[in-house]
Amino acid sequence: MVPIGPGFYPRIVLGVTAVLAAALVIADSLASKRRAPPRGASDYGLVASMFALFGLYAGALSFLGFRLSTLLYVAAANALLAPPRSARGWARVALVALLTTVVVYLAFERYLLVLLPRGRWTGF
Amino acid sequence: MFELLGAGLANLMQVKYLVPLALGTLAGIVGGALPGVTITMTIIVVLPFTFGLDPLQGLAAMTGVYVGGSAGGLVTAVLLGIPGTPSAIATTFDGHPMARNGEPGRAVWLGIWASVFGGMLGGVFLIGATGPLAAFALQFGPWEFFSLFVLALSMVAGLVESSVLKGLLSGALGLVVTILGSDPVMGRERLTLGVPFLEGGVPFLPVLIGVFAFAQIMSEVERAGGVERAAQGAQRALSLAASHVKVLWEIVSRPFLVLWASFIGVLIGVLPAIGGSAANMMAYDQAKKFSRRPEKFGTGIPEGVIASEAANNANVGGSLVTIMAFGIPGDAVTAVMLGALTIHGIQSGPLFILQNAQLAYGIFAAYLIAHLLMVVILAVGARWMLRVVTVPKAALFPAVLVLCTVGAYALNNTMANVYILLTFGLLGYAMVKTGFPLAPFILGVILGDQIEINLIRAIMTDADPWLFLTRPISGLLIAASVASVVFALWQHRRQQRRLAQRADGDADF
Repeated sequence: MVPIGPGFYPRIVLGVTAVLAAALVIADSLASKRRAPPRGASDYGLVASMFALFGLYAGALSFLGFRLSTLLYVAAANALLAPPRSARGWARVALVALLTTVVVYLAFERYLLVLLPRGRWTGF
Repeated sequence: MFELLGAGLANLMQVKYLVPLALGTLAGIVGGALPGVTITMTIIVVLPFTFGLDPLQGLAAMTGVYVGGSAGGLVTAVLLGIPGTPSAIATTFDGHPMARNGEPGRAVWLGIWASVFGGMLGGVFLIGATGPLAAFALQFGPWEFFSLFVLALSMVAGLVESSVLKGLLSGALGLVVTILGSDPVMGRERLTLGVPFLEGGVPFLPVLIGVFAFAQIMSEVERAGGVERAAQGAQRALSLAASHVKVLWEIVSRPFLVLWASFIGVLIGVLPAIGGSAANMMAYDQAKKFSRRPEKFGTGIPEGVIASEAANNANVGGSLVTIMAFGIPGDAVTAVMLGALTIHGIQSGPLFILQNAQLAYGIFAAYLIAHLLMVVILAVGARWMLRVVTVPKAALFPAVLVLCTVGAYALNNTMANVYILLTFGLLGYAMVKTGFPLAPFILGVILGDQIEINLIRAIMTDADPWLFLTRPISGLLIAASVASVVFALWQHRRQQRRLAQRADGDADF
């Protein structure tokens, strides 16, 4: 029997990964420098803000609880993606956030027996 | 077999299964019809709702999503010319012109009935082939399983559109994710960096949800406004009345086309991870090649719609075969279904259909009934389906992300899963931006542990590494995986050369 331990397979996988990565680096540096023209403008600022907002949401879940943080997150994300321009717009954002939170909470806690996070600060 | 299927059908007719199946089918149709929301995203959203259900209820809902999603895309494809999902791209080529020529009802119903025919042919294959294939796989030893998984991985990596090397590297990175945590054979901890929640390894569902949901949503966010604009003109009221007899005759009178398109759909479904988007394009292409009037394609002829829609629903049947007989997910949708099985503690693989015959035949029954439900739902709701397109993405995306969070959290009620979701969400988006395909990565994450277990088992049984090549089935599978990579490289090279030539030609002007 060959002595194989827990490190046997990771070594193979990491070795293969390293070889492939090296091959990609070589292939890319040998390839012609022709680049595809960028298609349309991309709003990376918005993407970064969306990721940051989700990060805040993930962090807030254990402190504020599911209901409060979801309400705030959905409202903030909605306002970020389509900034409301009037009082009615803001009312709609608030309504969507409230509906999403209530429907998701009730569906999971009441009917689907899934317990959602409670807040450490709010106990709610 | 027919007894079991009959029992499965009778079982599924109970309200407790019919309701989740119908809701799943409806969710699939709506998700499929929404441009920018793929079937994968729909099933990710549906996943947390199935946690509290019994396994068959959950899988029936998911089967409904899969079947409904493959048909839902056709409504927007035909009426607006925007494919609701990638699997309806080819439907726009002839379906939209036909609708513009004043026959929207004919186009939509041709698509729906072609989906039913394709789906049913896929179903025949699904029900007939799963058992024998699983029985065949039961003879496999660890060598064969190892080689089979390697073949699946290399095929997926090679069949991606971008660079083959990036596909392979993406698959390898997926395997790297699975070496974190305790090793599956001896249970010793590796590479946990002292982080307690890494001891159990990285659970694959949060990874899958994160990678696919964020890659998709953030790519839409980046093109701000693009989706909202497409929805204009969707408010018109349309009459979708059509003669069903005439439409059905148009399909039945082309048996060769329907059979061939469904065959292509099933075949592509069986092969891991190419999915419906390839099936409909390839079937459309084949229909054009075999047609006596290829020049008419693209002007609104029935053949184009039939080929595309029959293929994408037959494709569902094919993918279900691979997951049920071998435990290898054919695409992201079946990967989520695999995850749902794991949550309920059901072992996938060749033993699945033997040990869980009731569940397996329940899935077959759900697949068949979902097609009927799809026709009913579309008959009632096709007219309103266009309203769905006007749902603002700004309200939809946050809600989808909340459901993704619930899905990840509720897996085992830990916040760690939510952090994994975010981490892999960032990774998924970065991979898409740098041209790394997601499918091989996910397949790597899913198959990683099995690859390791079978490799170690094989070597522990017999130290001779040549057995992987000298055992006939294993050797054949390894040869096929090498061939698939070589073929992919060759094809990629050829395509590059053609592109280069075309670019040079353009430069002359």
